[in-house]
Parts: sequence; C-alpha cells; structure tokens
Amino acid sequence: MAHKRRVHKGIERKKAIWGWIFVAPSLLFFSLFSFYPIANAFYTSLFKKDLLSLRPPKFVGIKQYTYLLTSPTFWNSVKATAIFTLGTFIPLVVFSLIFAAFIMSRKRFQKFFQMAYYSPAVLSSVVAAAIWLLILDPRGLANQFVNFLLNSPGVDHKWLASIGMVRFSTVLVYFWKYVGYFTIIFIAGMASVPRTLHEAARIDGANSWQAFWRITFPLIKPTTLLVSVVAMIQCLKTFSTQYLFVQSGAPRGPIDVITLNIYYTAIRDHRIGRASAMSIILFAIMLFFTWFQLKVSKSEEVSYM
Amino acid sequence: MMTISIAKKKKPQSLIVDIFIWFFLIGFAIIILAPLAFMFTASLMPSSDVMRLPYPWIPKSFYWQNFWQAIRGNDGSFIYIRNIINSVIVAVSITLSTVFLAALTGYGLAKFPFKGRNVVFLLIMTTMMIPFEAIMIPLYLIVTNFGWQDSYIGLIVPFLTNAFGVFLMRQYLITFPDEVIDAARIDGASEFSIFWRIIIPNSMPAIATLAILTFRSQWDNLLWPLLVVQSEEMKTIPLYIIKFSTEKYTNEGAMMAVAVIASLPMFVLFFTLSKYFLSGSSLFSSRKG
Repeated sequence: MAHKRRVHKGIERKKAIWGWIFVAPSLLFFSLFSFYPIANAFYTSLFKKDLLSLRPPKFVGIKQYTYLLTSPTFWNSVKATAIFTLGTFIPLVVFSLIFAAFIMSRKRFQKFFQMAYYSPAVLSSVVAAAIWLLILDPRGLANQFVNFLLNSPGVDHKWLASIGMVRFSTVLVYFWKYVGYFTIIFIAGMASVPRTLHEAARIDGANSWQAFWRITFPLIKPTTLLVSVVAMIQCLKTFSTQYLFVQSGAPRGPIDVITLNIYYTAIRDHRIGRASAMSIILFAIMLFFTWFQLKVSKSEEVSYM
Repeated sequence: MMTISIAKKKKPQSLIVDIFIWFFLIGFAIIILAPLAFMFTASLMPSSDVMRLPYPWIPKSFYWQNFWQAIRGNDGSFIYIRNIINSVIVAVSITLSTVFLAALTGYGLAKFPFKGRNVVFLLIMTTMMIPFEAIMIPLYLIVTNFGWQDSYIGLIVPFLTNAFGVFLMRQYLITFPDEVIDAARIDGASEFSIFWRIIIPNSMPAIATLAILTFRSQWDNLLWPLLVVQSEEMKTIPLYIIKFSTEKYTNEGAMMAVAVIASLPMFVLFFTLSKYFLSGSSLFSSRKG
C-alpha cells in the first residue's frame, strides 16, 4: 500500500515537472516580449529619452503625461481616434447585425452571402487601403458612383483632401473590410439559438419581425455586446489605412489617430519617452474596454430555458 | 406537415418584405464585391483605362504588362520577388512556431496538474490585454539592443507565440481523454513523443484555425516591419505596397497588379479552407471571459 502510494506520488511529481517543461518556453517568451516591454514602456514614459541620442535619459517624472494632457496635437489625436472609433464601430455593429439577420432568414444562398460579405476581410489592410486609394481618386469610382446617384456629373467630392471627407474615407475603408467579419460572428451567435424556440413562436402566430425582436435579439445580446467591444478595440488600433493615406498625400491632422501619432513621435521625432507615455495612455484606454468586455460577457450568460 | 401549413399562411405583406430582403442582400453583396472586382479588372487594364469615365468594368484585352511592371518594380530591381519571399519566410515560420508552442503550452496547462498552474494560465491570459501598439516602442528598443533590426530574427522573434493560441489550444485539449494519454504512457512512450504523436495529430481542427489566424495576421503586418526594416531587401509585402503606391510615377494598373499578387495566397486559402476561416471568426462568439 505504502509502496503504491509512493509510486503514485512519483507519477504526480513527474507530471508536474513535465507540466513546467511544457509551459516554460511560452512563459519565457511572454516575460521577455510582453511583460518586460509593458513595464519598460511605463518606465521609459517617465524619462526624456531620445532615439539615437547618446545623452543619458533624463528623469522627468510625470512631465510627459502632463505635457500630453495640455498638448493640442495629442488632443487632436484623441479626437481623431474617438471620431474614427465611434464612426466605425456603430455602423459596423448595426449593419453586421442586419446582414446576419437577413442572411439567416434566407433558406437559399446562405453560404454564398456569407462568403461574399466576408471576402474583403481576407485582404490585408494595406491592400484594402491601396484599392480605396484609387477608388477615392478624383477621377475614381467613388466620385463616379456618387455623381451618378446625385445626378451631378463631374463634381469632385474631395475624398482625400477635405477634413470631413478624409475622416469619412478611413471609416469607409474599415467598415467595408470588417463588416463581413462581424456578420459571421453574429451568424454564429444566431445559429446557437435553438430552432424550437422559433418554431414555438411561429405556432403562436408571431411573424418573423416579432420573432427576431422578441426571441433572437434578446438571446444574442451577449454576442452583440462582445461584437461591440471587439469592434471598438479593433478600431482603437487602426493604423494601416491612415498611414497609407497620409503617405499618399492626405492631410495628417484629421486622421492622426493615436497609433499613427505614436509612430511619428517615436520614429520621425525620435521622442521615445513621449511616445511611451502615449502608449501607456492607449494601453489604459484599451484595458478599460477589455475589462468592460469581460464584465459584460460574464454577467450576460444566457440560458435558453 | 406543420411547416407546409405555416408556409401557406404567408401574407402578401411578407412577400414584399421577402423581396426587399433579397434586393437588400444582393445590392450590398454587389457594393461589397465591387472594390474587389475593381482590383482584379484594373490589374488587367492599362492605367489610361483604369481612370476612365465611366469605369469600363470589363478589360478590352488582358494587359499583362501590369504584372510584369509590378514584379519588375519602378526601378527594374525585381525586389518584389524578394519581398514576397520575405513575407512567406516570416509568416510561415511564425505560424509554425506559434502552433507548436501554443499546442505545447496549451497541453501543459490542460493535462499536467502542477503547483501554480492557474497562476501561469492567468499570467499568459493577461498578456492578451496588452495591445501590440502599446509595447511596440520598447520591443523596438529590445530588438535594436540585440542588433536584430533589419533581419529575419528581428521580424520573427517577437511573434513566436501568442496568448490567444495558448488559450485556444488549452480549451481544445481540456476535453481530450486522459485514458489515451495514460495508455500511451503505459506503453512506454515518452512525454514528448505523446505530445508529438498523439496530441498534435488529434488537434488538427484547432491547429488549422490557429494557423490560419496567425498566418493572416502576419501576412497583414505593417507596423512591425515598418519599425524594424530599413533595407529594400528585407521589406515585406505591405511595405512594398506602400512604397509602390506612394512613388510619384506609379501607374494605377500595375498598382492593382501588386495588390492582386499580394492577395492571391489569402484568396486561395480562403476558398479552399473557408470552413476554417469562418469558424475562426466565430471563435469570438464562444469566447466568453
């Protein structure tokens, strides 16, 4: 008996050792490339530090943060990011919900619509931005299409030039690329609603409009909340579209989102400390939304009974 | 029988709704697919046609010079071929290492009870909350300190594994039957060969999903190569696209040919593995907490 227990204990110990061996490489990796950098970003944000400079970094405490909070350029970035995020994620959630509901209501061509709507998401974001750069050209398809709708031949709507339009253009690219992606997520959420509930509603005389608002919509509330937060976090991280547009001559100001500002501050202006402070602020904002997401998705477990 | 009698009860109003929905879905499908159709058709037209009013949707004849121009580059250096090879090397090696390391760690967390296992799991999960954009500057400094800038190592190493992959593999393997593993142990298989010969082959659905997600995000990666790469030889596809499209003397048809070449592998993957693409996206809906 005692012998057997000792053998058993030996197996347990062996397993524990193997467990550590299996998780060790990842643990090392995450320490080096996630935890250390975030700690380092926080530390660096307290210094005045220049890229490529031989001068030792100077400790300035929270001065970088107070500077940013009074800097019009930084607030402009916050504004640009907020406008982009709100302007993109709300239509994304609304339209992907509508698309998903409509696609689910079809008996035929479901798979075709799913793939057609999803297909832009397959492209890389730089390719998407490059396509739209040509479409939004003064001679391009966007002007042709709008002028056809408004019957106003030859008008240039300045997609990449005026403040409002260049903002709208980045939203358009992002919406186009991701709406199918979120449609698929909604479809998966809707597919998990038991069919029997719909059949019961039908028998009780509900039409499909009522069935959607009274049954499907309340039951996919967790999916809706999740999609909202995921879409919001995605939008906060946008970079490629804005970068390519600015590189191609669009004004930077209206679309100078935080990620773009971090990039320019660190790489063009060589201000590592200030860029790190911006990174920490971005991190705090996203952490808040992630926490929010976890909170909502935990409290919103649905039961179908 | 039930469904038939209900279907017959349809009111005329619902027929109008039905037609509206068809128009709505088909209309948006056309609008969403139009830019893609534009990319493909414009890549086969001379630039004079690409910007013609109104846009001629069907190329008169296939203008293959665009593809030649795309690969040759504006300066005749053929650097795009090298950049494509770079993208393949980087994306494939990151995908392989992510799948391997995430499966290894996920297996360790799922099947090996050890002290501190939950802490390890929680630590790895918290890294999911650290956005890459917030740590790119310190990562850049680390890579520069190691002297890895402008090299494959610099492009690859910061992405060797990721927390979402670990999470995915752990969730998948937690339901894997212990009896199979124990039987292999009794047969004298080493722990590592159990992982390699039993766990890996039996996790293919999860591995395929993770591989697609990883490959796609790396193929798409602009920010990191933008920081790390300086030379033309080490550029990846997104950087080439930026360079090609911002050069003043670029031509639009060739620009779209560059884009088509860059997208081709993703489209091939999408049409052959659409099942995994679509399930990969819907993972979010089952990812609660």
